[in-house]
Amino acid sequence: MSGDGRLLASLVERDGRTTVLLQERLSGRVIPLRQLQRQQPHSSPSLSWNGRYLALLVQRGARRLAVVEDRATGHLHPLPLPGDLEPQRLSLSSDGQRLALQLVQAGQRRVELFDLSGVLEPDRAPGQRLGGSAPEGAGGAAGP
Amino acid sequence: MTLRGRAAAAAASLLTAAALAGCAPPLRPLGPLNQVLQQAGVNHAPALSDRWLALISGRQGREQVLLIHLQTRRPVPLPGLNRPDAQPVSVSVDGEGERLAMVRQLDGRTELAVYRRSTQSLQRLPIDPPGVPQQVALSADGKVLAVQVSRGGLWGVDLIELP
Repeated sequence: MSGDGRLLASLVERDGRTTVLLQERLSGRVIPLRQLQRQQPHSSPSLSWNGRYLALLVQRGARRLAVVEDRATGHLHPLPLPGDLEPQRLSLSSDGQRLALQLVQAGQRRVELFDLSGVLEPDRAPGQRLGGSAPEGAGGAAGP
Repeated sequence: MTLRGRAAAAAASLLTAAALAGCAPPLRPLGPLNQVLQQAGVNHAPALSDRWLALISGRQGREQVLLIHLQTRRPVPLPGLNRPDAQPVSVSVDGEGERLAMVRQLDGRTELAVYRRSTQSLQRLPIDPPGVPQQVALSADGKVLAVQVSRGGLWGVDLIELP
């Protein structure tokens, strides 16, 4: 779900292939994804705050690959991993600046965080500060 | 366009072409945070918000939900959430780190619940019509919960509005 709850990305079976589907949550209207017509099976879709970015795992050859479709520009950003790491699941921060990946290496799984600030522009909630996240302690239980 | 501008445009074009060709540079790991994760145990099922990471962490055969504040790089206490007899399956956190949605197995059942950190309270949510929840995703404002549910072997997504 996008951070604002407006969009929902889910997985559907289409011609026997698991394919990501992007919809408006309230109307159910399907939003086309130009760059993601192939490279199935898709898995683990994750949206940024306004739904500008859709991160997911795709199949490229024999390997799984994390990618981000930028719906504002139409670009597809491949996010290759160092070494022989294989992604199993992902989660994109709502501002699009960090990516959490569940990885498997030699049969062992773990979670690692990656910096996307050099790859993607921030996709922030309206009214949020341009210089970074909202101030610490703002709003309820924001602080640790 | 100036010479510097043309050079920048050419470099950007090359980078874009390389990215589209699958030749993008490898992702940059967030080292200090990854050290914290490594020390926490064997982790899976990550869910990020802007300032929080929720995940399932296992140590010595026992798994629990962990919530890490990304700026301080420290896990925060979640009193009343983790139980030794429960097996967490999926977790999601809102943008403020106030609400966590989770699917867990307990007493042979799979249940959906929402935890509120400010009140340290856990509320079970019924699945209606009945089904088996598998994965959760909470909107950043914590008001909408998407749940992957299995009913009669068919997967669907339930959307639940939270008060």
